[in-house]
Amino acid sequence: MNCMELRRSLLVNPRLRDGDLQTHLAECAACSAFARQMESLESRIEEAARVPVPEALDERVLLRQSMRRPARFAMLALAASITLAVGLGILVVHERGPGGGEIVSGVALGSEHPAVAAISYVLDNEPQLLEEGRRGDPAVMRGAFARLGLNLPANGVTVRYLGKCPVVPSGTGEHVVLDTPVGRVTLILVPEQPFTSPVVVADRDKTAVARAVRTGGYILIADSLKNARQIEKMLM
Amino acid sequence: MFEGGKSRFERVVRAFSTELYRYAYWLCRDRFVAEDLVQETFARAWQAWEKLQDENAVKAWLYSILRNEHARLFERKRLDRDDEQDLGEIPDTVSSNPHASLEIREAIHSLPQSYREPLLLQVLGGFSCSEIAGLMGISEGAVMTRLSRARLAFRQLPGWDVMTRKKAS
Repeated sequence: MNCMELRRSLLVNPRLRDGDLQTHLAECAACSAFARQMESLESRIEEAARVPVPEALDERVLLRQSMRRPARFAMLALAASITLAVGLGILVVHERGPGGGEIVSGVALGSEHPAVAAISYVLDNEPQLLEEGRRGDPAVMRGAFARLGLNLPANGVTVRYLGKCPVVPSGTGEHVVLDTPVGRVTLILVPEQPFTSPVVVADRDKTAVARAVRTGGYILIADSLKNARQIEKMLM
Repeated sequence: MFEGGKSRFERVVRAFSTELYRYAYWLCRDRFVAEDLVQETFARAWQAWEKLQDENAVKAWLYSILRNEHARLFERKRLDRDDEQDLGEIPDTVSSNPHASLEIREAIHSLPQSYREPLLLQVLGGFSCSEIAGLMGISEGAVMTRLSRARLAFRQLPGWDVMTRKKAS
């Protein structure tokens, strides 16, 4: 092995130390210095490449896998139903009466209705998402509120979770969890895909209001219709 | 939850999630997207777990899934990114010389993807040139060329020899 061959080998793999290479290094001071330099550089690269890893990543992976089957079912149902709502104008249940309205049961609408699927999505996925504590981009959330002409409530309201809603087609949906004076509520903002008509649905101890606004719509999920109405007043 | 393969799958998650995250980070340079990629990689791995014939190949298999997931993600949508901000966001908790480490990160970051990827597969994954060639679908010779050029690029860094001397001392 000559000097050129040795240097080529070390550029490919600075940790390489086979017999020929060792023999050459023992006899050639210049190549020996080159090898030390390359090994040192390699340590630097390794050190720099080892970016910090989020704590308990493996636990979250295992937890997500354990929850994935039911969660994914709800997510797929919501994705399918939002697509249908947008494409076929399937939301036909109208609110009745000022401020009150008729509440439709989840059973009557079926599990693929966006509002019903949204409740399932929240119940199946939100605990895990809140535990992960991930925060999305507040500017993106404010932009979604603005595009829908909604006010982001300020007094006594805390954004508990903020992230993309993976079930809204094209990745434009925002998933916002708010702690409010009337309890925790979830907003799924769909800024670019309008619903055709408002609906209120009760299912699994939750109430969901799906409403078209401007160029899109939102689904608000709360513990009761009364709470949902109060939050809607704050949004308008 | 994982029935028969549960403990084996758990062992694999614990063994490889860290290095897969780092590899994912350098592919997408976004901490949140990197975690999503790792989650999706293991989700797909679990779905196909029973098809895994050779347990010794699990590591290369996971890297391969992650590469594909990353490619799919970037086919679907281009993520708008502020690369310099990303590097600044990485807290330096392990480096003995944070300044030099940042310079090296910037150098890794500025490498063309075709050079950066084989380098990271070697440095983080410990793969041989032959394995990297298999993962990337290129020849072993091409891998060797790219690794050499990547390291030559580091040697162009201002003061790189000083940095390596400090490390060696």
